[in-house]
Amino acid sequence: MKKNDVILIASLLIICAISLLAIKLWQKQSTTDKSYVRVEVDGKVYGTYPLNEERTEKIQFENGSYNVLVIKDGKADITEASCPDQICVRHMPIHYSDESIVCLPNKLTVTVVGGQENEIDATTN
Amino acid sequence: MKRKIISCILIIIFIAAVAYVLLSKRGVDDTDVLIQSSQRDSNKYTATVIDLFDTKTDIIGYTDSEEQFNKDADQVVSDLQYYNRIYDIYNDYDGINNVKTINDNAGDKPVTVDKELIDMIKFGKEMYYETDGRINIAMGAVLSIWHEYREAGLDNPAKAKLPTKEELQEANQHTNIEDIIIDEENCTVFLKDGKMSLDVGGIAKGYAVQKAVDKAKKHGISNILLNVGGNISCIGARADGTNFMVAIQNPDLESDELYADSFGIEDGTCVVSSGDYQRFYEVDGKRYCHIINPDTLFPSEEFAQISIVTKDSAFADAYSTALFNMTLEEGKEFISNHDGVEAMWVKPDGTKVYSDGFDNLVDTDN
Ligand SMILES: [Zn+2]
Repeated sequence: MKKNDVILIASLLIICAISLLAIKLWQKQSTTDKSYVRVEVDGKVYGTYPLNEERTEKIQFENGSYNVLVIKDGKADITEASCPDQICVRHMPIHYSDESIVCLPNKLTVTVVGGQENEIDATTN
Repeated sequence: MKRKIISCILIIIFIAAVAYVLLSKRGVDDTDVLIQSSQRDSNKYTATVIDLFDTKTDIIGYTDSEEQFNKDADQVVSDLQYYNRIYDIYNDYDGINNVKTINDNAGDKPVTVDKELIDMIKFGKEMYYETDGRINIAMGAVLSIWHEYREAGLDNPAKAKLPTKEELQEANQHTNIEDIIIDEENCTVFLKDGKMSLDVGGIAKGYAVQKAVDKAKKHGISNILLNVGGNISCIGARADGTNFMVAIQNPDLESDELYADSFGIEDGTCVVSSGDYQRFYEVDGKRYCHIINPDTLFPSEEFAQISIVTKDSAFADAYSTALFNMTLEEGKEFISNHDGVEAMWVKPDGTKVYSDGFDNLVDTDN
């Protein structure tokens, strides 16, 4: 084997290793980057908010009702609401794909789109 | 020169092969679910509906196409919608006689209803006798008083009040299960006592889920899981043949531990939890949940949560409510007398108690 061949193989190996790493990183980035929550009110899309940007969004209804959506650390949570049952506020923050928080009195749903798959298919309540 | 090019290509192919093997291996034993999930969950779909049984419904399916999943989910939702309407105690629907219609005509006249409503009421009566009255669908008079106080207390927490023993005891004079008169031949239901009413909240959801699952099976629907407000049931498994994974909500919602337990469930297995942590109201800082003990006429305080695992959602729902109104000893004896039914109790301090055969009915491998 000539010296040039060794250099060739070595550089090919390095290029491959770098691109592998890049692909892996890019994949990881793209799922967390692209995942967002979709807020729906009475079946109509109210807004979509990326999970990787911290934000506090007050969803205000004409009758004075409201829900406060907080996105923090890649998770979405309802931290405050006007509904009497407060079930949406007690719900854990969500981040898995298709996970949702519902406020029945306000007909509001917050659903994660994209993001990691949950190992759990369903939870009792 | 030619040889060099060929060897170059060979080296690249070799490196690509090694990389492929390495990457796919990492996907399997890495906790990073990226590669794993894109292979396994490529056909996983979820539909969420919020207008059924006053709760959230999730339908999770593994199908070849989104069209197929939408078709399956629509089928299940429309069946559930039908049951939601005929088992409703609060709302009227055009052209439908439901539980509310029966209640509205109490002491007045028999109401003609669908056979599927008769069947559910018969099941409710059956559950009354089987549980020594620990679940009573004829307890509407008592439950509606609690409902009013709870709604008022939630709307205005500062003025939240408890019903008095006297008014509850007076209402309890009108909860005799024998006063539900079913005429199967004419398909009518009549409440003999004008002051009585049906409240099917403890059984209707689970009963409807079982019926919807039975119908879905007849339509050839498989690889699907229903979660109707925590009433969980499934047909088949995930696309890759592994069991659906189910978690029991930790009744302590403040805890960092999301789940009290989690396990796989085989085809047809149902899981239901009853608890004091979702629907309740507070009076003077004390929590009063929505499950009312027919003996004391007050909320049960023995447990934070009870979960039932069995192969029929209707029984799972009814038993989880009934066990909430029993002591641990009574409940354990009840479970040991019922084959194929297992339970998990969580006490208010968080202690978990499992029935003897619990692990045989669930898949704790993963
Ligand atoms: Zn709410």
